[in-house]
Amino acid sequence: MKNPARAASAVLTYGFVGLMAFLSVFPFIWMVLGATNSSIDIIKGRLAPGETLAVNVAKFFTQVNVPLVFWNSAKIAILATLLTLAVSSLAGYGFEMFRSRRRDGLYRAMLLTLMIPFAALMIPLFIMMGKAGLINTHIAVVLPTIGSAFIVFYFRQSTKAFPSELRDAAKVDGLKEWQIFLYIYVPVMRSTYAAAFIIVFMTAWNNYLWPLIVLQSNETKTITLVISSLASAYYPDYGVVMVGTILATLPTLAVFFFMQRQFVQGMLGSVK
Amino acid sequence: MSELQLTDVRKSYGGLEVIKGVDLDIKSGEFVVFVGPSGCGKSTLLRMIAGLEEITSGDLTIDDLRMNDVDPSRRGIAMVFQSYALYPHMTVRENMGFALRFAGVPKPEIEKRVTEAANILELGALLDRKPKQLSGGQRQRVAIGRAIVRHPKIFLFDEPLSNLDAELRVHMRIEIARLHKQLAATIVYVTHDQVEAMTLADKIVVLRAGVVEQIGSPLELYDDPANLFVAGFIGSPKMNFLKGVIENAHEQLHVRLPDYGEATIPVSLAGAVPGTTVTIGIRPEHFNEQGPASLDLTVDMLEHLGGETFAYARHGNGEVVVIETKNGRGLKSGDSIVARFDPACALVFDESGKRLR
Repeated sequence: MKNPARAASAVLTYGFVGLMAFLSVFPFIWMVLGATNSSIDIIKGRLAPGETLAVNVAKFFTQVNVPLVFWNSAKIAILATLLTLAVSSLAGYGFEMFRSRRRDGLYRAMLLTLMIPFAALMIPLFIMMGKAGLINTHIAVVLPTIGSAFIVFYFRQSTKAFPSELRDAAKVDGLKEWQIFLYIYVPVMRSTYAAAFIIVFMTAWNNYLWPLIVLQSNETKTITLVISSLASAYYPDYGVVMVGTILATLPTLAVFFFMQRQFVQGMLGSVK
Repeated sequence: MSELQLTDVRKSYGGLEVIKGVDLDIKSGEFVVFVGPSGCGKSTLLRMIAGLEEITSGDLTIDDLRMNDVDPSRRGIAMVFQSYALYPHMTVRENMGFALRFAGVPKPEIEKRVTEAANILELGALLDRKPKQLSGGQRQRVAIGRAIVRHPKIFLFDEPLSNLDAELRVHMRIEIARLHKQLAATIVYVTHDQVEAMTLADKIVVLRAGVVEQIGSPLELYDDPANLFVAGFIGSPKMNFLKGVIENAHEQLHVRLPDYGEATIPVSLAGAVPGTTVTIGIRPEHFNEQGPASLDLTVDMLEHLGGETFAYARHGNGEVVVIETKNGRGLKSGDSIVARFDPACALVFDESGKRLR
């Protein structure tokens, strides 16, 4: 590079970007390396591959009913994701397509709910679930997540790019509103659905605090709760915790890589 | 083929009236074009016919049946949109057959109609492609094909050529004219392009601010506009307008043009009152070298189109007059010219813009 100022600028830029990338990836590297080391080595700060991977994996499968906790997590995450997408996309479509004097006021009120911290909702939600007899059920974990103000907002913003002439053409073709939604809107907005699927699935899969409160028996617990209980034991075995963490990460990674292209397109806008 | 009638049709959004009482008869097989400037209500009126906008008051009838509250799909219409509005996730074949599928038409019949329409529009090779794999012109033909397969009573076109480039627009214009002839269909067509209107229409409806200004054949509107707005809107380049005053001299009415060196032109108008201010309209092609009336002008700018030349010539008062000439190749900016015209070709409009005859 001929220009020294440009060279210095490039070094600084790449240095900064590299540092940020390292900080992002480091926990993942530490998790993978940790899974191959004993708890003592991890506490000592060893950052090299160890030899206890097989032992850690065996301990994890002995201590945890892996199929059950994965089934619990998957059931909750998939159910929450599908219901959230169905409810939120209908709401987003409705907010954008139907004009009414109260529409914007209602929409703003809904957005305001984003500012209420979950800590303020926990106790009322718990009382509600208790009265409905849903404590210690997976439905209690799913129900509070499906009316997501953020996902409604995301769908409404994406729906702005949905061509109104497609809706008009469908009406002339004889479709009712629900048919327009199902046969035209959903396929056209599939990238938006894919992006929302990844966001909601990851949130539901990693959900910790609410399941911790509402799920009380071992039979109903999810992978995040189990990992947490392993980590908070009197003598936690961090190697085993790392194995559990890796396994818990795999489904979300799989979902992301499977839908990566659609996710990027969805974030940029479904309709071109 | 079908007849369509609008009787005192109005449309309001809250307190704002955008269509202000339209009366219109469209005969079976007629090609009717709505033209007007942006915001005049032409697309709204078309959408009201389609059933995509509610009619606030008045009656819409198709074949003597009141259609105000009938679902768009049951009005016997098909619509072609400006943006084509093809379903992006479906192939051309699926797009064309979609409405029929929802109407419960049997599969072999759908296939037959799609093939027929594809043959008419030369879309046979494109049936299995998705819209994104097609050019603008091909997409427009698919949109027309989607309308044809429904065998509608009336075709509605909402600025269908606006998204195409100039060459393709001319080509598609000819295609639509051919299609009208071939199908003998009733067509209502919205455009702001007066060349489309003039070349395609049997009847043009000129709209301004929700009001019908004039209805007539293209040449009727061109030769015999009812008011200043229609005179200015139809024709390109637009008609020249010169301010004048009616005078009575030697028992003959004249229009004196005080801004043009006191030039006068004799007129014979019933009801013209001496002393009133009027506007004289002269089309660019009505200027020639022999006419009895004349204007002294200086050439400002020239547009050579090959066969003819448009000279934008300025008078000393600053007003610009557009002149069409066949012999303009020798002209250059700054040349002084005398533009002559036959007063019989001049149209006279009163202060309110209404034509004086």
